[in-house]
Amino acid sequence: MRWHKRLLVAGVAGVLALTASACAGGQVRGAGGTPQPQASGGTPAAAQANDRTFVYVPNLDVVSDWDPATSYSNEIVALSNIYEGLTRYDSETRQAEPRLATEWTSSEDGRRWTFKLRQGVKFHSGATMDAEAAKKAIERTIEKKGGAAYIWDPVEEIEAVDAGTLEFTLKYAAPLDLIASSGYAAWIYDVDAVDADGKTTAGTGPYTIDSWQKGKETELTLKAFEDYWGGWKPEQYKKVAFRVTPEITTAWQLLQRGEVDFVQRLNPQLFQQARSADGVQTAESPSFQNLLVLFNTADGPTRDPKVRQALQLAIDYDGLVAALEGSAQKASGLVPQGLLGHTPGMEPEQDLATAQELLAEAGYGPDNPELTLSLTYAQGDEDQKLLVTLLSSALKQLNVTLQARPMTWGAQWDLGKKKGQDILVMYWYPDYPDAYSWFLNVFRSTDEPQLNLSYLKNADIDAAIDKLPELTATDKSAASDDYTDLQKKIIEEQAAVAVPYVQKYQRALSANVRGYVDNPAYPNVVFFYDLTLAS
Amino acid sequence: MLRYLARRLGQALLVVAGVVVLTFAVMRVVPGDPAVAFAGPKATPEQLAEARERFGLDDPLPAQLLAYVRDLVTGDWGISLRTRQPVRDDLALAFPASLELVGAALLLAIAVGIPLGVLAARYKTKFPDFGVRLGSMLAVSVPVFWLALALQTLFAGALGWFPVAGEYDAELDTTSPLTLWTNITAVDALITGNWPILTSTLHHLVLPALVVAAYPAGVIAQMTRAALIEEAGQDHARMGRALGFGETSVLTRFALRPALNPVLSLIALVFAYALVNGFLVEAVFNWPGLGRYAAESIRSLDTPAIAGVTLLVALVYVLANLVVDLLQGLVDPRVRAR
Repeated sequence: MRWHKRLLVAGVAGVLALTASACAGGQVRGAGGTPQPQASGGTPAAAQANDRTFVYVPNLDVVSDWDPATSYSNEIVALSNIYEGLTRYDSETRQAEPRLATEWTSSEDGRRWTFKLRQGVKFHSGATMDAEAAKKAIERTIEKKGGAAYIWDPVEEIEAVDAGTLEFTLKYAAPLDLIASSGYAAWIYDVDAVDADGKTTAGTGPYTIDSWQKGKETELTLKAFEDYWGGWKPEQYKKVAFRVTPEITTAWQLLQRGEVDFVQRLNPQLFQQARSADGVQTAESPSFQNLLVLFNTADGPTRDPKVRQALQLAIDYDGLVAALEGSAQKASGLVPQGLLGHTPGMEPEQDLATAQELLAEAGYGPDNPELTLSLTYAQGDEDQKLLVTLLSSALKQLNVTLQARPMTWGAQWDLGKKKGQDILVMYWYPDYPDAYSWFLNVFRSTDEPQLNLSYLKNADIDAAIDKLPELTATDKSAASDDYTDLQKKIIEEQAAVAVPYVQKYQRALSANVRGYVDNPAYPNVVFFYDLTLAS
Repeated sequence: MLRYLARRLGQALLVVAGVVVLTFAVMRVVPGDPAVAFAGPKATPEQLAEARERFGLDDPLPAQLLAYVRDLVTGDWGISLRTRQPVRDDLALAFPASLELVGAALLLAIAVGIPLGVLAARYKTKFPDFGVRLGSMLAVSVPVFWLALALQTLFAGALGWFPVAGEYDAELDTTSPLTLWTNITAVDALITGNWPILTSTLHHLVLPALVVAAYPAGVIAQMTRAALIEEAGQDHARMGRALGFGETSVLTRFALRPALNPVLSLIALVFAYALVNGFLVEAVFNWPGLGRYAAESIRSLDTPAIAGVTLLVALVYVLANLVVDLLQGLVDPRVRAR
């Protein structure tokens, strides 16, 4: 074949590929989009904040589900600025604060809750937000049964008493003010204006969609909702862009060049650089996500509490946190700081001598037959891998061999439901800011294991867990005491779990941004409305 | 010729069928429940059951395979567990950007690789030959991910000559909105005369295209050199020398044309390779192509999306080979007889 014919072949292949992709048919891309901020290389910040776009750098897709009823993924960051709930959690006060509801009361038994709604609030659709609209939104979310809709399980009936009063009757007592502050499934929206294609929004929040281009680098841009009930000040950001950047090093370079304003997470080395870099500020705060090392209390060698206690004592908690270089902090009990039930003074320590004694009492250890334990952990999670490496090394000294298997969550969970391992490592975080999530899901008895992957079965513990919602709704002080008792029972007496660390958020943002506060109840969410541009 | 055509088409269909079965097997063999990827890490048993029913995961495997093939034939490539959109729609968004990057990289590779091959052949065993061979070996063997990070850090980060990442300046979406016809930004900008987006896209293309071009340029340079050296020993080249043509003229006027035959075949073959090799480059440069889609799909165990990417790349590969085979058979009777 002549060379020019071969060139023709290459050309034909190219044309075929072009034809395959030619399906756009004259659409206009990006019309209505918002501009990026100017690179800051020597350019002074503009005096008027409303001219600048705040650029957020996520490492994954921004939105995969636009429906506020079923959304249960990364879109929490964008949707938290488009939608609002009745309340919003404040991790400093450890309480729900007013949002669309200005005040609320509950009956003494915690089964009847009355919310007074904010007046003069408009949905993005132009409709008025009132009790009837809020009732419809919550009922639709419950009916859709998607994502975290289960948070409304306690609700028996919702009544719009009048335009400004919403009343809930519950099947059992529950802290509805906390439930209503959830980052998932608790948004109030105009049910007639929900658009699954992301062209319009149906919330009451300060921002609405400007453009959404699935799969593009700047996937989503938001613009200010001019009729927002909170009003607008000149220095607030009225435009927001989400620039998807999978590589941490690329995100860091973009931040240094002033092309973006907020990077969700850097690695520890880059975070150290960011601390001293010009034009960049950093923020650190503990999250509500902690690592659980769950021991199989039902079968195998770990059925013996002494073995479980020995394993707890074999973990090098301080070494692990040091090796994680600031991306985690030592845990104190099961409940992270910022939630009702957090108990200081429960920080664990490594004690190999006592661990050896306990193993000897159980018939294992250096002078006894070798003990082999299976462990599963999350594939690709370097932090968990570090824990496994340190634990494996410590246990080797005690004549215990750890057979660790990294697995995808689906596979790990499948095996866990069959009680197929001695130790299971996983993260836990609450869907709404209530420590009850750990106890109900992970430690309450179930006939068939779901997320109770330590397989703990203890009637006293179950009874205490069942009392928690009512206590949280009616007597927070008593609830706090009960949380402390339960943690001692589960961690110290039953030794069903070890909690090595709580993950820490390490953010890097432009030095000229003011007002950023991390709220661990809403993972990775930046409330753009709260930010201003330094003059 | 018709028998040859039927045989080649049959072989291509067999390969595609094999890829379909393989991608299905990979989807089902990978440990873990796809229903968990769809319904979420804390899904209730009811939500998991609903997802299993929706995707037919409780059906027997042969029934699932049949349904998968039936859907593919009717143009339904499944629903992505992560984006919750039809995989075909997702691919239609991502593929053009990859095509743009790989196309630019291949043009660059040809423009650089062939002259370097000629140079090496002209000065065989001398310094330029040594330099080209060393350079092409480096280009072929250096990991693209490392090269991407190195070029980005140096030319975008430190020197600021090129953008760090992206396909074009996002502000142009407002100031010069682009009308889409092929979904390939540079092509659409050229067709519609949108010069701001065209120049911005070309500026953004330089670094990622250089990185993707490294491997094909190295291979093309080596292949051109080897083919030219062989052709330079043939009768027609010797005749050229006997007529008094200089060595450079002999190489470029008599030996180069026949030597380019294997090189051009090679280009069709490295196209699909460059497409996959470009995945990592896309991740580094935020290029909104198949690479980012594939990486995020793998990270979230989005099996329909992974299968979709695999199938698409396989189809491109098979199609390119088929076209080369058919045209070869068209002009060379000896190929048809094989």
